[in-house]
Amino acid sequence: MMCGDEYRESLRRLKPEVYYLGEKIESVADHPAFIPHVNSVALTYDLARAPEFEELLTTKSHLTGEKINFFTHVHHSCHDLVRKVKSLRALGQQTGSCFARCVGHDALNAIYSVTYDLGKKNGTEYHQRLVNLLKEVQAKDLFLSGAMTDPKGDRSLSPSQQKDPDQHVHIVARKQDGIVVRGAKAHITGAVNAHGHLVMPTTSLKEADQDFAVCCYVPIDTPGVIHIFGRQTNDDRKCSGCLIDQGNPEYGIVGGEALIVFEDVFVPWEHVFMCGEYDFAFDLVERFATAHRQNYGGCKTGLADVLTGATYALAEVQGTVGASHVRDKLVEMVHLAETLYCCSIACSCQGYALPAGNFMADPLLANVTKLNVTRHVYELARLAQDIAGGMLATMPSESDWKNTSVGKYVDKYLKGVADVPAETRMRLLRLIEGMTCGTALVESMHGAGSPQAQKIMLMRRANWEHKKRLAQKLSGTGESRHD
Amino acid sequence: MPGQKRRVSLKYCGSCNPLIDLSRIGQVLPAAISQETDLLFVSAEETNIDTIIILCGCPRACGNKETIRARALRCIVVAGESVDAVPVAEKDISTAIIKKLKPK
Ligand SMILES: Cc1cc2nc3c(=O)[nH]c(=O)nc-3n(C[C@H](O)[C@H](O)[C@H](O)COP(=O)(O)OP(=O)(O)OC[C@H]3O[C@@H](n4cnc5c(N)ncnc54)[C@H](O)[C@@H]3O)c2cc1C
Repeated sequence: MMCGDEYRESLRRLKPEVYYLGEKIESVADHPAFIPHVNSVALTYDLARAPEFEELLTTKSHLTGEKINFFTHVHHSCHDLVRKVKSLRALGQQTGSCFARCVGHDALNAIYSVTYDLGKKNGTEYHQRLVNLLKEVQAKDLFLSGAMTDPKGDRSLSPSQQKDPDQHVHIVARKQDGIVVRGAKAHITGAVNAHGHLVMPTTSLKEADQDFAVCCYVPIDTPGVIHIFGRQTNDDRKCSGCLIDQGNPEYGIVGGEALIVFEDVFVPWEHVFMCGEYDFAFDLVERFATAHRQNYGGCKTGLADVLTGATYALAEVQGTVGASHVRDKLVEMVHLAETLYCCSIACSCQGYALPAGNFMADPLLANVTKLNVTRHVYELARLAQDIAGGMLATMPSESDWKNTSVGKYVDKYLKGVADVPAETRMRLLRLIEGMTCGTALVESMHGAGSPQAQKIMLMRRANWEHKKRLAQKLSGTGESRHD
Repeated sequence: MPGQKRRVSLKYCGSCNPLIDLSRIGQVLPAAISQETDLLFVSAEETNIDTIIILCGCPRACGNKETIRARALRCIVVAGESVDAVPVAEKDISTAIIKKLKPK
């Protein structure tokens, strides 16, 4: 298992093509725009070696029996699923941000099971290839991104109906030694500081979409793979040398997302896990989405712990913590957060084995979890902002606070209760600002799928007939009517 | 055996959402154990451990499992504000453990 610094070194050895603000980046591990995201992932390595977290963040490989980082594990029990949620909460508490490794982890689990099913039906070698990759990932402790979301162009059209077929990643050539893919994946978390990408189809597919049914592994510095890093709210603060103004300078906000372009990228067969089997795309999307939606009541609860703590501390600094409505709102924040946690734990406990032997959370409950996240995290932010006050949006900069002419005014007028320095209030406000304004919120809405995607799954999984039968029995209507 | 120090070790539950400051207790304990002439603090990976202290952040006590208990002859389980199922305030947990480690 790597430590954080070994992970940083491993990034320096790679030469991916990365662009940010119109410039080509030489070293992701050393550029201020990426350092917080690198730090956050590095912590998943460091804490796996820390005695306090070892029980959560390490396990034994079911393939080799070796001790591995939990983020490279294929779950083999409900206990594993629960452990994932707990580890995400723990890491959320330590980073107050996204630590990116869950996406590739979930992709590995989903691909593991779907390739097995594919092999059973079609006699394909995909599963063995995935197992080989998994062994490498576990031995080298690699961090893979999970690249599912295509740019999608006109959303009312299927992949094969688009005017520009590149709106979805697709196969442009099948060769003796591999395939060539073209297209792009959007919003990919940790894309620039991963070791490679697990590419998956974004939606269920029909026969006409065969060339879009592609799942493969692409190392980050493969020729033709271009990363264009996304802007975040207030990202210029990362580069200005302002520490307080960043709010969470160590770990930043969200995971650091990028548009990944695949410009005729060659993928050797050993890294291809689906090639044209459109009828398995839905299973892959559903299993990945279930695993990923399961997570959100883990990591987001960890973040909510930090946000609630910051809000409580700020209320103390501002002299409002004794007010009954403030206490009520703080309690409401706990209620919202723990409800999310309940959902994640519940869908994990109700998980079950797939034919490959690995475990998946209950899909219905996992979708409920994520749908709640799209609401509760916004409500958590609203309550935190309510308690924080308008200074959240109007506070002078750290530079003005340090300025020899006006600094004394900023210091004087930003003070809350007399015995706490203004700096404490400023730091707490900036942390809350980073966690509740802009990019961080959008992630809760669309990360792991927009709310409607969850509702579609609820529609599919709700067991309507059973519900109707229950009502019919009690009301004496329909087929089960008592005569 | 007379003259031989008793080997004591520490194992954490995993620290997902601790109700007590596990890291602080985990820092205080090795130092406190080292001050006792008949006790020796060792890593949980070592063998021949006499007592393993299982530090769990809450009453769920995830660390209290056979694979961990089996590493030592005896164990002391901290589960939130309790030591071996007896309520103990957080500030007194280290002292309570040291007391349990001392021969009666
Ligand atoms: C911070 C962040 C991190 C992310 N990380 C990852 C990652 O690591 N890996 C990854 O694969 N993805 C990632 N995503 C992508 C995420 O899964 C998508 O944002 C999500 O699936 C929505 O897709 P979209 O952004 O294209 O929005 P759209 O799909 O365009 O959705 C916008 C709206 O249009 C509606 N809509 C879309 N299509 C239709 C239709 N056909 N008919 C009717 N209504 C429609 C939606 O319901 C929604 O209301 C991330 C997103 C964010 C914001």
